[in-house]
Amino acid sequence: MSQECILSGMLSVTGKKVLHMDRNPYYGGESASLTPLDLVFKHFGKEPPKGDDVYGRGRDWNVDIIPKFLMANGQLVQLLISTGVTRYLEFKSVEGSYVYKRDGKIHKVPADEKEALASSLMGMFEKRRFRKFLQFVQEFDENDPAKWQGVDPNAMPAYKLYEKFSLDENTQDVTGHALALYLNDKYMNNPCKELISRCKLYSDSLSRYGKSPYLYPLYGLGELPQGFARQVAIYGGTYMLDKPNLKIRYDEQGKVVGVEDDKGDMARCDVLVCDPTYVPEKCKSIGKVVRAICILDHPIPNTKDAPSVQIIIPQNQVNRKDDIYVCVVSNTHQVCPKGFYLAIVSTTVETSSPEQELKPGLDLLGPILEKFVSVSDLYEPDDDGKESRVFITKSYDATTHFETTCIDVLQTYRRITGENFDPSKIQRQSEDGCQQEQQEQ
Amino acid sequence: MAGRGGAQRPNGATQGKICQFKLVLLGESAVGKSSLVLRFVKGQFHEYQESTIGAAFLTQTVCLDDTTVKFEIWDTAGQERYHSLAPMYYRGAQAAIVVYDITSQDTFGRAKTWVKELQRQASPNIVIALAGNKADLANKRMVEYEEAQAYAEENSLLFMETSAKTAMNVNDIFLAIAKKLPKSDAGNANQQRQQGVRLNNEQTQPSESGCCK
Ligand SMILES: Nc1nc2c(ncn2[C@@H]2O[C@H](COP(=O)(O)OP(=O)(O)O)[C@@H](O)[C@H]2O)c(=O)[nH]1
Ligand SMILES: [Mg+2]
Repeated sequence: MSQECILSGMLSVTGKKVLHMDRNPYYGGESASLTPLDLVFKHFGKEPPKGDDVYGRGRDWNVDIIPKFLMANGQLVQLLISTGVTRYLEFKSVEGSYVYKRDGKIHKVPADEKEALASSLMGMFEKRRFRKFLQFVQEFDENDPAKWQGVDPNAMPAYKLYEKFSLDENTQDVTGHALALYLNDKYMNNPCKELISRCKLYSDSLSRYGKSPYLYPLYGLGELPQGFARQVAIYGGTYMLDKPNLKIRYDEQGKVVGVEDDKGDMARCDVLVCDPTYVPEKCKSIGKVVRAICILDHPIPNTKDAPSVQIIIPQNQVNRKDDIYVCVVSNTHQVCPKGFYLAIVSTTVETSSPEQELKPGLDLLGPILEKFVSVSDLYEPDDDGKESRVFITKSYDATTHFETTCIDVLQTYRRITGENFDPSKIQRQSEDGCQQEQQEQ
Repeated sequence: MAGRGGAQRPNGATQGKICQFKLVLLGESAVGKSSLVLRFVKGQFHEYQESTIGAAFLTQTVCLDDTTVKFEIWDTAGQERYHSLAPMYYRGAQAAIVVYDITSQDTFGRAKTWVKELQRQASPNIVIALAGNKADLANKRMVEYEEAQAYAEENSLLFMETSAKTAMNVNDIFLAIAKKLPKSDAGNANQQRQQGVRLNNEQTQPSESGCCK
């Protein structure tokens, strides 16, 4: 998965020697973008359509299995910049962010003052209260208690903060789920510090490119692991793809000594970083996510034909515990031919008929040409790596952005090296883009 | 930051147009890809060349009559060694040099595989050149000139035998590519790049993009 790619990037730019092995013949594991389209059909055990004209040119498709957007001011963007990986990537803003209300309609999350005034999301008076809340969040400074307006961010629970600004339940849903991007309502009783910083991240991200706080890479998310991989290679790391049946070898104390491939060749190492699928015996399941990848030949109804959107269905609005997410990308992000749209609907599984749980999201899409549904387990390490020196990342959760992924990456980096990732320690490459003039006649 | 680009002229006069192109090198490990780049960009050759160049890409300009062609040259960074080159590498490339070693038939076979891969995956208008490198080792030759030339003709590739060691045909092959590349605005890398945004820190831009943007 791409946490390992990010970690190899961080470790190699700070001077570690990295060997990266992957059982798949492509980079990024679950975070790869599948191409051509036939591969998507095969991945989900379906027969690809005969003939070339049904879905356009197969290789114009780059289909993510797990949908995620980047927060424009979020941690992944910081990591891409500090490691220099950003030079291999191009991004585009996601056009709009929408939130679903009990009335069955979707409403645009206002991107500016003007949109806020015109919004049907809340009434006039509520808008005023909401604005006060946003102002408070924006001006909040953790280090300056004078500006706290009597709020102790470390003690006051989130719901109390809402009460303080007299926000109604509907506005709380919009704030907690469409702005702070909480998956469920467990945060309500936690100190409001996190709610404040999440809201801040949303508005800081929004202010970077304007249309929405979200970015998405051209050609799909699979570009991210590839970009990190190239950077590692430039810093002297070695890559081996297509290595099935890797066996991890330990010494008598249970400390990792190396990895053996199916020919019996052993690569020795002091530290091993991997995702849960390589060491199921060291992991525990913490739940399941259901995802439906849908091919459409039209934009999502009621989004002003936006070529890319995110729709959040807050759990309360559909009587669930966890939110449902809809991510839509299309030809402007080079993930499919013109005229097609890719919508991924996902949520945390709560019942024994997971696909049914996606219905509120699927219902928003209009006619669906093709649907690929999958349920995947979420794993978390059951071994902190202290003794074994095996550092395991978490499975991708149901969130539709990379913030939790980055927290995992930064924490794992600290577990491995014993220190925080410090971009100032990156060894810059002197030859970068050097140039000479040469005349030829 | 700006100003180190191809538009620089000693007398300050800027004439003609500047086109920027992404060029990638492909081929088996140890055929001399990095050496060709080093020879072309820096005029150097190392007998015991470290296998990677250690830069994201190098740039070099070639001046044709009224056009300055600026190559953004991407080396494999060794990712070809275990067949682990990512599609991202040749994405958006307008030119490719597929390299083999004239003293090894295997590397010629591998070069053909790369040509096929490019024809399948890369932009349809990509200009491909085939380079039979290490031409200075003619006494150990295993791939005949005529054989490679016939293959190149069949597949509409530019073809030259080169030597990074003696510099034979190194500038020439880049020049031949520069001539063949479409100079209309549509074929210009900068144009295609406008599509998306590149992320950067507004305040502190590291040296990374120097002259390349
Ligand atoms: N004799 C000779 N040796 C060369 C030539 N080009 C490269 N080499 C040598 O071949 C080896 C591999 O070169 P390198 O550029 O690292 O190959 P790469 O793996 O394709 O990038 C090095 O030892 C070079 O010195 C050439 O034109 N002639
Ligand atoms: Mg090389």
